[in-house]
Amino acid sequence: MAKERKFSLPFIDITSTKNKILSQENKTADSSPMLYKTNARSLLVTTAVVSWALLLANVLFSAHRLREQGVAQLSLPFLNNLLIVVFLVSVFLFQRLSTESLKGVDFIGYLWNLFSKAAVAAYVSVALFLGYKVMTNYADTESPLLLHLVYQINFGLLVVFLAKAFYIWRQLLLYHKNKFLQIAWDWFELLLGAMLLLTIFNFDYNSYIFMPLLALIGFYILFLCTNLKWVAYLTFSNKSRSLVLLGAILLSCYIFVRFFRGLKDSPNLVIDYTDVSFLLLAMMFVGSYTLAAFLVSLFSLPTSSVFEQKSEDLLNFQRLSQSIQQGQSEAQVYDMLFESTIKASDASASWFELIRNGEPQVTHLLNINIDQIKRIRHLLLAYNIHNIDYINNNLNRNPGFRDLMLPWKSLIILPIKSKNYLSGVLYLLKDIEQGFDRETVNVLRTFTSQTILTIENLRLISESLQNERYKEELKIATQVQDSLIPKKFPVDSWFEISTHALAAKEVGGDFYDFLQLSESRIAIIIGDVSGKGISAAFHMAQMKGIFHGLMQQDMPPSEFMKQANSALSRCLEKTSFITSALYIIDYSMKGFMFARAGHCHTLYYNAMMDDVFYFQTDGLGLGIIRDKSYANHIREMYYDYNPSDVMVIYTDGIVEARNEANDEYGEDRLKYMLQQTYHLEAEDIKYAIINDLENFTGPDNLYDDQTLLVIKFKPVEPNK
Amino acid sequence: MPMKITNEIKDNTIIMTLDGELDASSSVMLDEELSDPEIMEYSKILVDCKNLHYISSAGLGVFISHLQRFEDAQIKLIFYNMQDKVRNVFEILGLDLLMTIVSDYEEARSIANE
Repeated sequence: MAKERKFSLPFIDITSTKNKILSQENKTADSSPMLYKTNARSLLVTTAVVSWALLLANVLFSAHRLREQGVAQLSLPFLNNLLIVVFLVSVFLFQRLSTESLKGVDFIGYLWNLFSKAAVAAYVSVALFLGYKVMTNYADTESPLLLHLVYQINFGLLVVFLAKAFYIWRQLLLYHKNKFLQIAWDWFELLLGAMLLLTIFNFDYNSYIFMPLLALIGFYILFLCTNLKWVAYLTFSNKSRSLVLLGAILLSCYIFVRFFRGLKDSPNLVIDYTDVSFLLLAMMFVGSYTLAAFLVSLFSLPTSSVFEQKSEDLLNFQRLSQSIQQGQSEAQVYDMLFESTIKASDASASWFELIRNGEPQVTHLLNINIDQIKRIRHLLLAYNIHNIDYINNNLNRNPGFRDLMLPWKSLIILPIKSKNYLSGVLYLLKDIEQGFDRETVNVLRTFTSQTILTIENLRLISESLQNERYKEELKIATQVQDSLIPKKFPVDSWFEISTHALAAKEVGGDFYDFLQLSESRIAIIIGDVSGKGISAAFHMAQMKGIFHGLMQQDMPPSEFMKQANSALSRCLEKTSFITSALYIIDYSMKGFMFARAGHCHTLYYNAMMDDVFYFQTDGLGLGIIRDKSYANHIREMYYDYNPSDVMVIYTDGIVEARNEANDEYGEDRLKYMLQQTYHLEAEDIKYAIINDLENFTGPDNLYDDQTLLVIKFKPVEPNK
Repeated sequence: MPMKITNEIKDNTIIMTLDGELDASSSVMLDEELSDPEIMEYSKILVDCKNLHYISSAGLGVFISHLQRFEDAQIKLIFYNMQDKVRNVFEILGLDLLMTIVSDYEEARSIANE
């Protein structure tokens, strides 16, 4: 029957792989392996219980025969050995499956699990044996059957204990494992499994053939016992607790060893489990590993506080560096700095000053009062050592500090200072001399530099947000300015107009506008504010207002320039000026009147004479002379136009545009362009000029605002 | 191209040499030079524009803003050796009628000594 059971185990394995494949196919990965595990575990438990019961029956039967016939011999020794092996295998496999589900780094949890579920077995076995002793003493009779029963039960408990301990120790031994360690362990398990063969074939492991092998395995175990990395992760209190638990487990080992060695080669017993080499080796491993863990825990106890401090520093450091991602504020960062540095340096008193508008402000204090802070600050100020890196490990030696009668003997000052900005100062005090050694100071400095970095980054983030907002505002400014420039001129049959405007920055200083003065008269203005950007844009808007305000009263261009100059003189800053040209076109008179205030010369094509030329008129820019004498510097001109005449009005951004060789586009090239294109429509003339300009400058080479207006007078008379 | 401004003092006259392009950034430099109170101790400022390749509206603005002050203090401001391109900018704006622009140093010197 046992044979059957044994063979059933590999069969389970096959179904398990099948199950896994199936589960992958059906995408029900969760349930099937779980189900298999539960099934396998219940099967293993049944196998263990049945094999143990059969063993018990066989042993009791043999014991009975011993009493009857006086022959201490097992019936069916081979079957008995097989049962032992089946029992061992099933219990160990069961524990193997159970412990695999244990995860995490709760080492005390593992130890407690081992103690409560397995090590207690030893105390139960002691109780059982004592109970047997008491009973035999009381009844004063030998009861071999009862002895066998107790022996058999204790054997069961021992195996459960060993299996549990074996696999929990595996879990801890392989903590932070590498590949080599994993392979070493797998071989160990295999070797132990091979030992079971000795039992099946009833070899005596004490024979000389096996002694060297056993010795080798012994060394192997010793090597495995050096893997105790988990102990380092225990805190002081955890170590104390683990010492108690490990001690109890060691005691369990001792009890079992004592019990089974005590009954070794006993004439009263038909069976001797000390002959099972597997048990010996498993006990050797469990015992040595427990002892090693116990000793390492014990001797690392005094140093554990150092490691605790280090790991806490590391954790605080991490918290500090991650505070940006967690969206924490500056105040929270200072809170963290204050707490962490006090813990890291074990300071007895401390305070933190935040520098606001150049004035220190105490935001955090610990074990110190404002009066003491004031006195210390006063002294530091007198020594001129405030707000700088400063360590004094013996305050009593300094007469100034001695006079303050402070309860502290060491002081460190840590300014939170980036390249050019002091955001705060941290003061730490200790009640012992040499309180701040190099190691501590290094840790503290790391904390402060990380804080500086964090604070800088927080500021950068808020600054970039601010910049983003400015960009948005600028976008609005661009839109507003765009709306100030007319998109559509009045369409009439006697002239056509085409415009082009391009700002070098978000907002510019160029502008043009028009105003219908009467049915037959239209005023067109073009202008350029010196400088670029926001201030130019403001003046441009101002000029537009002046244009509309003044031209409501319908005045000649020269008069407009005089009044505009006087208006601008009051509001333009000293270094700013505006160039402008105003044209009043009257189609009933077939002529236009214009004045130029420092603006670029008007380019003109006269169809009658078939000539392209610039109007050479004098005129000073607006805002250059800010008194009445300006009137002497402005000229007005009247010109009769012919049908098909073309007028090109522009800003200096056109003629002063440069190519890569730093040459200017120039008036001559512009004139040449008009000579080639005057016969086209106004729109096409504009495109021809702009295209030529773009070809000249090349792409992305815009440094000044560009404005271009092309006006073409048409031969057709307006319909009245 | 960075702007270089050098001042040379010769019997009660400052000879200011402009070398490079007078754009928005270099005009700040020029403004600092012209704002120097020491400059008011001299009665003549001759500006050598031989190597002035470009002048922006900001550069013009600096000269314009000091024009009235120099006039009030009876300091003569004379430009000479000006390139045609730069002179054209002065002319378009109407500054040639407001400022003294002459062809060479000798002429500038003789006008200054009038």
